[in-house]
Order: sequence, then structure tokens, then C-alpha cells
Amino acid sequence: MKEVVVAGEGEIFDVELSLDLLKANEKIADENKALLRKNGVRAIDVMGSIGTGKTSLIEKLVSELKGKYRIAAFKGDLTTTIDAEIIERHGIQTVAINTGKECHLDANLIKKALKKLNLNSLDLLFIENVGNLICPAEFPLGSEKRVVVISVTEGPYMVKKHPFIFMGADVVVVNKVDLAQAMGFDVSNLEEDAKKINPNSKVVRTNCRSGEGIGDVIKALGL
Amino acid sequence: MHEFSITSQVVQSVLAEAEKQKAKRVLEVHMVVGKLSFLGLEQVRFSYKVLVKGTIMERSKLFIEEKEGQVKCPNCGYEGEISHEDDPSYHNLAIPPITLRCPKCGGTVEIVGGRECLIKSVKIVV
Repeated sequence: MKEVVVAGEGEIFDVELSLDLLKANEKIADENKALLRKNGVRAIDVMGSIGTGKTSLIEKLVSELKGKYRIAAFKGDLTTTIDAEIIERHGIQTVAINTGKECHLDANLIKKALKKLNLNSLDLLFIENVGNLICPAEFPLGSEKRVVVISVTEGPYMVKKHPFIFMGADVVVVNKVDLAQAMGFDVSNLEEDAKKINPNSKVVRTNCRSGEGIGDVIKALGL
Repeated sequence: MHEFSITSQVVQSVLAEAEKQKAKRVLEVHMVVGKLSFLGLEQVRFSYKVLVKGTIMERSKLFIEEKEGQVKCPNCGYEGEISHEDDPSYHNLAIPPITLRCPKCGGTVEIVGGRECLIKSVKIVV
């Protein structure tokens, strides 16, 4: 190299960076997805606000499907292993993921949790996210399908108010339909709102306590 | 959401690059943020002002280019900006009522752009 041009002192110049800040989580999510696929494990995200019935839904799904599939579950919460223990009582390996102060699961936590599983002895993995209808939308984990659980007790505008999470919802579960009458609004409005945002979303009404609608959720998930 | 933590990453990344380039000051930071990236730009700008204090980025200008959500329909091939529902609940609000319904065939589109959050370039003084 005969001549090298360098910037002189006091010179201003532009540096092209093209640095994508969201790539880090996405890259790990893609790695998680590839690892799950390689081992033939179907992972399903279960998201929703606090108290909508995510754990109850997983309990019922595990109960119905454990004869057909080898299942494990991840349960994300800021703290405690309360819900993880509830799921574990159904006889499947359950890993509790404590996020500390983070309000959502991220791909890195899932990557760590996946190391606790013997993936080639599993067919199905349920990943229950922290109770939160906002933040999980932004953080893909590497799952195959995303389920969003809402409850009629949240009122008629929950879907309209949270468009981003419903954009990515493959299945929307409208739970606690036994309380619909007490809430005094037409539950079909929630279904319409979800379809307006994502026409591909499958909407299923459930009562996760009694088991009503669980068969339809299983069909909607293609299980 | 998480604007403060994303902006913190921005500042760290720019400072790291500035150090690599042996910069004395950072004059400008140019970002590209898609409208489907869930970031509130007002909070990003506010966080930026807070985070650059006492660094060589203090007094630098932050430019944010917004990109519209881009979609493609696997059914009919339509390509264009993401559509909005005409719903009175959403008038005059920060987040428009997006829909993944294809404006041409009524099918469901896929998002192909508008999710980015990147630092495009920085202007520095060496």
C-alpha cells in the first residue's frame, strides 16, 4: 500500500453502521427454533394478561394430550414457582423461568431453559410467558405457534387496545365464557376485533375450568 | 416499550464505535425505526438526552427516520404499506388501527418491513 488516506485531526466524517438493535434477540430466537425443529419438538407460546387462564389452559391441554405426545413446559414469571408446580403435577417436566424484573420472556432465557430438556425425547413444548399483553409481542422466542389468552372479565376492548400482540397471534383463546353474561357484552365483538387485526387468527371460546372449548383449541393448534 | 433499554444500547454502540474511530466528539446519530417496532420515539429522544450526558455524545443530534409497515400478500401478491381499519375508536391516536387484511383480496398479508430499529450512521469529529 503506497498511500493511505487517514482522517486529519478535527475532520468530520460519517461512519456507516447499519447496526440492527433487535437482531440480537431475533438471532437467538431463530437458533432456538432451529434446535427445536431439528429434534422434532413443536413449541407453542402461551401469552396473555395476568389471570386470564394461561396456566389453566396449559393444564387442560396437557391433560388431554399427554397420552398422544411427550410434553414439557416452561413457565415464566418474575418470581415464584407456583404456576410451574401446578403444571408439574400433571406429570410432565416443567421448568420454571424466573425473569427477575424483566416483564417478558426473551429468547436467551429460552435458550438456557432448553438445555434442561432432553429434546429428542419430546414432541411438544408449551411456553407460558409472564402475564403481560404488551411486551411479549416484541420478543420472539423461537416457537412454532403463538397463542394469546384473553378473558371476558377483561372487558370488551382488550383486543382493540393491544393490536400488536394480536398481529402475531395464531390462536386467540377467549376464556371464562361462563362469565360472559355477568360481564354484559357480546363476546363476538372480541372475535371480530381479533379478526380485523389478523384475519388468519383462529378464535376459540373456552371455559378452562370446565374444559369447554379445549377440543377446539387442540384443533386450532393442529395437534 | 423498553425505549430506555433500547436507547441505552444505542448510546453504548455509538460510544464503542466512536472509541474504535478515536473520535473526539459525536455530532449526529442517524437511526431508522419502523412503525411496527413498538418504539415510542418521544421516549427514545428523552432517554437519549439523559443517557448522553457526560459523554462525547452530549449535545449530539439524534435523527430518526421512520419507516412505514410494509406487507406482502402470499395469496394475490399485493405489496405495499400496511393497511389501517377505519374505526372511530382510533382517531387522533398515536397507534393507527393496523390490520393484516389484504386490501386487494381480503386474505392475510405478511409483514416484510417496518420492524427495523437500527443505527444507520454516525457523524463524528476525530
